[in-house]
Amino acid sequence: MNTRPKILYQQRSSWLHRLHPLVKLCWLVTLSVALFIIHNPAWVLTVLLLAALAFPSAQLALRRDVRGARFLAIMGFLLFSLQAVFNHTGRTLVHLPLGQLNLTLTSGGLTAGVYIGGRFLALIFMSYLFVLTTEPSALAYALMQIGLPYRYGFVLITALRLAPIFEIEGNTVYQAQLTRGVQYDIRSPRKFLTLARQLLLPLLISALSKVDALAVSMEGRCFGKYPTRTYRQTPEFATRDLASLTVLAIGILGMGWCLLL
Amino acid sequence: MIEIRNLSFRFQGSESHALRDINLDIQPGEFLVVTGPSGSGKSTLALALGGYLFRQHAGEATGTVRLNGLETREAEIFDVAEIVGLVQQNPEAQFCTLTVGDEVAFGLENRRLPRAKIEERLEWALEIVGALHLIDRPLATLSGGEKQKVAIASMMAAKPQVLIFDEPTSNLDPPATGEIFNVIQHIREKAGITIIVIEHKIGYLRPFQPRIVLMQEGRIVQDSRDLGTYPTYRPEPLPPIAADRPLTNHCTVRTENLCLGFGDSRVLDGLSLDLHEGEFVAVMGDNGSGKTTLLRCLMGLLRPQEGRVEVLGQDTRQVPVSSLARQVGFVFQNPDHQLFADSVWEESVFAPRNFGLLDEGTEAEANRLLEECSLAAYRENHPYRLSYGEKRRLNLVSILSFNPRLILLDEILIGQDIRNATFVMNLLKEQAGRGSTVVNVTHDPETTRRYSDRIIFLKRGRVVVDAPTEEAFAKLADLGLKDYLPNGRTGLEYSRT
Repeated sequence: MNTRPKILYQQRSSWLHRLHPLVKLCWLVTLSVALFIIHNPAWVLTVLLLAALAFPSAQLALRRDVRGARFLAIMGFLLFSLQAVFNHTGRTLVHLPLGQLNLTLTSGGLTAGVYIGGRFLALIFMSYLFVLTTEPSALAYALMQIGLPYRYGFVLITALRLAPIFEIEGNTVYQAQLTRGVQYDIRSPRKFLTLARQLLLPLLISALSKVDALAVSMEGRCFGKYPTRTYRQTPEFATRDLASLTVLAIGILGMGWCLLL
Repeated sequence: MIEIRNLSFRFQGSESHALRDINLDIQPGEFLVVTGPSGSGKSTLALALGGYLFRQHAGEATGTVRLNGLETREAEIFDVAEIVGLVQQNPEAQFCTLTVGDEVAFGLENRRLPRAKIEERLEWALEIVGALHLIDRPLATLSGGEKQKVAIASMMAAKPQVLIFDEPTSNLDPPATGEIFNVIQHIREKAGITIIVIEHKIGYLRPFQPRIVLMQEGRIVQDSRDLGTYPTYRPEPLPPIAADRPLTNHCTVRTENLCLGFGDSRVLDGLSLDLHEGEFVAVMGDNGSGKTTLLRCLMGLLRPQEGRVEVLGQDTRQVPVSSLARQVGFVFQNPDHQLFADSVWEESVFAPRNFGLLDEGTEAEANRLLEECSLAAYRENHPYRLSYGEKRRLNLVSILSFNPRLILLDEILIGQDIRNATFVMNLLKEQAGRGSTVVNVTHDPETTRRYSDRIIFLKRGRVVVDAPTEEAFAKLADLGLKDYLPNGRTGLEYSRT
């Protein structure tokens, strides 16, 4: 049984891969917040462009490594187009009389399109970059390193480990139902509840049995014996991480300065 | 080392005892195999030895379990864990981390060992199970055998004095099974610790000359060191080795150059097969050879990327699964994944009801099958309250009740004792006698020899042997695939006297 998650860390040796997980997390959070608090379409396009350019420099390919990249691109373009075509605020830039359906593009519509479509794509690309270049366990260990209690850290690790297993099991239960003639045509709330129960109960039973096995495994290896634990390896802060954080701090200060002006 | 006195245990809500009056002494360095039918109390005994039974399960316990003088019913679980390590059936369910190195180091980190000591123990444990080369691999990329080795190493790293294995090979193919038992023997030789293995497939362990304890209905009924008195619990006579019923030429399944892959890997590679009415076919091969994928293609759950699959005259690409399913029964590997109704009776008629085939005749057939499978007494019970073997039988009833013309079985003998396995196989043989084609994915050559008319052996998605059973075994022998031969070492134990 292959239990590899579909969105998976891609082992490479790029600069982005080598950055400390917490530094990357800081960049992700800061840029995501900045995307929404800085109201400037050029800024949104710059972040989007940088995110897109970061893929090849991280030895990744958008089409190969991002699931549904084409769908996401189409969605982004659709979000942009809807605003551009139907939002008629601001100065008129283009007006094409097409019979009863006139096409009017305004500065307000284009700006709104860039905000919505651009932010959507930039957020997704940045999140993908983070996931594809950050080993999940390294992130969890890094969080525990800075003080996250290890019991919570292992909640994250266990969730990451079990999610693909439950995905596979969910698919198996669905297929087993198909072979027993279950029809997924929902005609009433009652039918929906029956279907949901028939799908979820086997998964719940499976999850409970896993909880038992996992509890035996964890207690049998002294998990929880002491309030703290040691770590075989934890991600170390390197000079590049400090440099990167310095750039980020300067950026945040600059951003704050601009917002205040 | 281990001293069990008058141990009895009854789970809360259960009418019968899971363990009854167990008395057992195990010496340091001893190699003990605990065997017996499903539900005989083997795994419960393992949980009692590890101290988990008394903490994780509500119930009524009497008697004592002492490990080096430590009473497990009263001691802290962490103190017991310093003496005993328990390797469970499914490695997937016991992993706590994402990579091999982290998993083996997990227990050492919890014990607050310094980094240098952790590295030293980590290498030692992986070395002893022959998995040091896997140290940097993500767990999700390992094969079943590799995962079990890592699970063993993760327990060995703490250097326990006793290591318990609860059916460690039930999900593995024969080569990996042999390898894991060799690893266990290697640990015994190198580390000199006490080994307790709970296992149905005792033929594999015979060369290691273990002490064998046989359990039945919660009791120890035989305790033998002498191979001459090797225990047996086969209660019914064996069926004939092969059916002498003539097979028809009517084709139920036809695949032509069937090809299918996931991502970059090709799982099925040019399979061309004809399966006939009344034929009982065993599909064998290593884990990952494409057996389950083949079954899913025959059910229409997966569509061929190249070639063609025809089931009962219908191209699977042209017909929906719901239509094929009226004539094709599919039993998946895990019984819990295919129980949907609220009672045993409703489960037995679940599929016919969905197909609109439920009438007096179907109900009568479901009733007959429930009687035959000793499930009639549980008609109103919830299916999840049944034992593992009973759930398996109910899975079969739920597809046999609509009399499918093609029956697809995905390793249904996993975790079954010989009594359940024999019962299930007899039931299927009877159905084949009525003209249904049975395709049974299995790792058990002994059962295959007794029940199958034909063996299809897959390797990396290709058919390497396709022949009548005895001829196929001869070909497998020529190919050096000795792990798949019914030599008394592999498969479930039928008899040892």
